[in-house]
Amino acid sequence: MALIRRSWTAHEADEWTREDWVAIAISPTCYVLLTIGLALSLLLQTSGYVMLAAGIVLTVLMHYVIDPKLRAVSAEYERKQQAYLNQLEAQVRWKDTDSEDL
Amino acid sequence: MSVAFTALDWIWVGLFLALMIGSGVLFYRLGRRSESDFFLAGRGLPWWLPASSVYATHTATDTPMWITGVIYQHGMAGIWYTFFSAWAAISSFVSTRIFRRSLAYTQAEWNVVRFTGLGAELLRGWMAGWQFFMNMFVLGWVGIAMGKICAFLFGWPVWVGLVAFSLVCAIYVLAAGYWGVVMADFQQGIIAFLVILIVSFWGISVAGGPAGIIAKLTALGALDRMNPFAFTGWWSGSFPTAWFVTMLVIALLGGFGMGTTVDWYVEAQRIQSARTVRDASYSIWWGTVLGLVRNSVWAVSILAFFVLFPGLTETAEYEMGWFRLGFDYLPVGMVGFFFAAILAIHLSTISSHLNLGALYATRDLYQHYVNPKASEAQLILVGRVSTVILLFGSFFYGLMMEDLTSWLIFALWIMAAGIWLPNILQVVWWRFNAWGYLSAWIANLGFSWLVVWILPALGVIPEIPDYQQFWLLMVLGALVYLPVTFLTRPENMDHLVRYYVQSRPLGWWGPVRSEAARRGLLLPASAVHAGSTSG
Repeated sequence: MALIRRSWTAHEADEWTREDWVAIAISPTCYVLLTIGLALSLLLQTSGYVMLAAGIVLTVLMHYVIDPKLRAVSAEYERKQQAYLNQLEAQVRWKDTDSEDL
Repeated sequence: MSVAFTALDWIWVGLFLALMIGSGVLFYRLGRRSESDFFLAGRGLPWWLPASSVYATHTATDTPMWITGVIYQHGMAGIWYTFFSAWAAISSFVSTRIFRRSLAYTQAEWNVVRFTGLGAELLRGWMAGWQFFMNMFVLGWVGIAMGKICAFLFGWPVWVGLVAFSLVCAIYVLAAGYWGVVMADFQQGIIAFLVILIVSFWGISVAGGPAGIIAKLTALGALDRMNPFAFTGWWSGSFPTAWFVTMLVIALLGGFGMGTTVDWYVEAQRIQSARTVRDASYSIWWGTVLGLVRNSVWAVSILAFFVLFPGLTETAEYEMGWFRLGFDYLPVGMVGFFFAAILAIHLSTISSHLNLGALYATRDLYQHYVNPKASEAQLILVGRVSTVILLFGSFFYGLMMEDLTSWLIFALWIMAAGIWLPNILQVVWWRFNAWGYLSAWIANLGFSWLVVWILPALGVIPEIPDYQQFWLLMVLGALVYLPVTFLTRPENMDHLVRYYVQSRPLGWWGPVRSEAARRGLLLPASAVHAGSTSG
């Protein structure tokens, strides 16, 4: 099994998997590295260049990991969206939807 | 200070205002098609449009003032004050995804998607009313900042800047609704980012460039101002590490929840306007990273301002530092361009809050509680009337703001502290119910008064720093909402299963997931794992 999976069916992508947790871990690190890295780079600090470069690499990596899964989730969900929107409209207009089929 | 405008400067301002109002006229037909168009641009936007709106909305007229304040006070370490927006780091891939799948127009509406019965309705009504008020307050707050900038630059009475530019903004918001907001935000975001770069790099250059700033900081004996981790000790001083850790916890773990920061309520609208779950995730992630990068550029330019004007002690004086870099040093003809960019910063925030406040009034209050059978035309009319009410209400608040500031900062604090954990629990824990969440809001209202003001005033507890108040309020709140949750019934299982299948939340949803699987609404886990090994 590949360490990072890049091929998903819609049902599989609906599950929370290792790829989600990798993105959850990398994303805040990207924010810290890009914010501090850019500020220190503008002050011509070597540590800033290193942090900024690491932030850019991790940003690319994060998208590499999570993008296929987000695409699969989106494709499946948009197919069902209209039915869910109809439920929401019924709810805002006080029409009971809990007894309807899911 | 008074700035002399040339004809070229006024041409910049006039062109910009024409562009903004023009976008309202241009998208008028789209905005009037439906409630979904007037408030969510028909849920069809590619990620970069709501991303630019996230960035533009959170670049307000007061933003450079408070960022200047914290960087001037604390040096580069002050940049962590701006890091509260990093909740989006985790939210983009967790709560944003879950909220987008709920399809709720607002966070208030989400309450009835997630919970059921009277408790859910009480939550929806409370949150809609609170958010209508909060948007009016933010409009007043940001509006009066513009009034003060105009007074500072041109010597106008404060109300002129407040009223004149909010009125201009209302033209395109009334005409095109969220279509006008998001299209104008895109242009405003580009203009604002460009000018922030120009003014900041100009200021850095005036201070002698990076090398000049470092040399002057060294000469001032203030080189530690370049260190983003220059804290004053673990617990002691004005900038302790304990504050930093608390901020990281609030910001980052808050991304697992919804409403853990006040910005969430604005972002919720952008999330739902994105055309897919993927677009929603990227709009929040990239919109926020643009804001963080902007803060980095600002921080360095404020260090430049510090070496140019060291030793300022009055907050009102150094808070205007970034504006002074622009107005004092930019060449003739560019000053108007800078002012047009300030207008861009201002209008993007005003337009977002006008439309968002009107959304709560229309969708959650009018349509749900007053006229459930309202037609699309009626809903858009109510949206426009609500926009006008917000506009005039914001003038009232703005002009009262001097007296109200401490009270309203307290109101903002209420939203963030004691309900931070419940805001996460509502997303990740199936057993957390509407009564638990409602009790958390009510308990927080009482406890925050006690902890922040009443008990210290009576000498029962000492005055404690805000980050310690956060932890104390979190524990006190849990003593109320956990018993309430366990003493009241779980939400209706049919409703929870529906919510689970639609939104697929992360966390402790075992019983609901099992029930959904039993009903044949999920693929068996074995099928998923089999797919994983072959994928």
